[in-house]
Amino acid sequence: MEDVTSSSLSRPTGAPLINRPNVVAVGTIVWLGSEVMFFAGLFAIYFTLRGTSPELWAGETSVLNVPLAATITVILVLSSVTAQFGVFAAERHQARRTGWKPSQWGMIEWFWLSYILGAIFVVGQSYEYAILVSEHVSLSSNAYGSAFYITTGFHGLHVIGGLIAMLFTIGRAYAAKNFGRKEATTTIVVSYYWHFVDVVWIGLFLIIYFLR
Amino acid sequence: MKSNVVIYWTLAVFFLFVATMYTVWAYLYYGYVEWVGVVAVYLLAVLFAFLAFYLGKVYKAQGGELPEDRYDANIDDGDPEMGHFAPWSWWPIALAGGAAIVLLGIAVGAWIVPIGVAIVLVALPGWVYEHYRGNFVH
Repeated sequence: MEDVTSSSLSRPTGAPLINRPNVVAVGTIVWLGSEVMFFAGLFAIYFTLRGTSPELWAGETSVLNVPLAATITVILVLSSVTAQFGVFAAERHQARRTGWKPSQWGMIEWFWLSYILGAIFVVGQSYEYAILVSEHVSLSSNAYGSAFYITTGFHGLHVIGGLIAMLFTIGRAYAAKNFGRKEATTTIVVSYYWHFVDVVWIGLFLIIYFLR
Repeated sequence: MKSNVVIYWTLAVFFLFVATMYTVWAYLYYGYVEWVGVVAVYLLAVLFAFLAFYLGKVYKAQGGELPEDRYDANIDDGDPEMGHFAPWSWWPIALAGGAAIVLLGIAVGAWIVPIGVAIVLVALPGWVYEHYRGNFVH
């Protein structure tokens, strides 16, 4: 975190020198807190419908493609790992690679990789949706369809938003003459968001595909 | 800052307690699990634990108390560079206008939506890259 501080350059005489909290990072975390409560509403919808019509869940969950969902879950978790390596590169203010080895990659290369992995997740989920619709599970088919598509759909929209944010972050790294604190902060807060969306998906996966 | 962390952890424990009480009490009263309250109150505990954990991390990384948390600090001790702020920007208004038109379209007539989408498509990159071009290029 040392390079996202906004401490004054000259040491003040009264108080000791401290790393002031980064307002963008703290603000992003508070906003993600509100996102926790947004998804709380979605989880509440899911559990309530599951509680009121258990017979629908007994039948409809059999058409879920668990191996596909498990695969895209692993891919999404991996994209979080690569995004974190992008953060490490951003924290050493390294935008571009110095060689082809991953240890020499900059923030741009790691975020492109994260973007591709995240995009594969969205493609996998779209495929799952297509299969489910062909099995007559749709948003308006019954309570199960509504619960499934509203929870995973809002999560999918968050993933797509994260992908757009990643492209913007990569674009900023290309646009800046010097990759500095501002760009590092952008990278860090986008990674916070991405990790958050990842954790929410793990919860959704466990509830929808594992718990059923 | 330390008091913020302590208050948030206290709230996390409080909501964990309340959520458990709510779950049991509602079950005894209704005879089934009342999921809306259970999920919402347990995730309130998660919300406060999340904020407390992060602020605790920030507090540790600070390496001392903020000037505003010290009785012996001077006004100018709390006057460092606070971060990057735009001196002026029209992009947030443009973006909000675009979003408002999209929502208006959803409420009134779908034909309005593309107009809002077009504004958003310009305003979003406009805001994100405001300090990467023209006067502010760096």
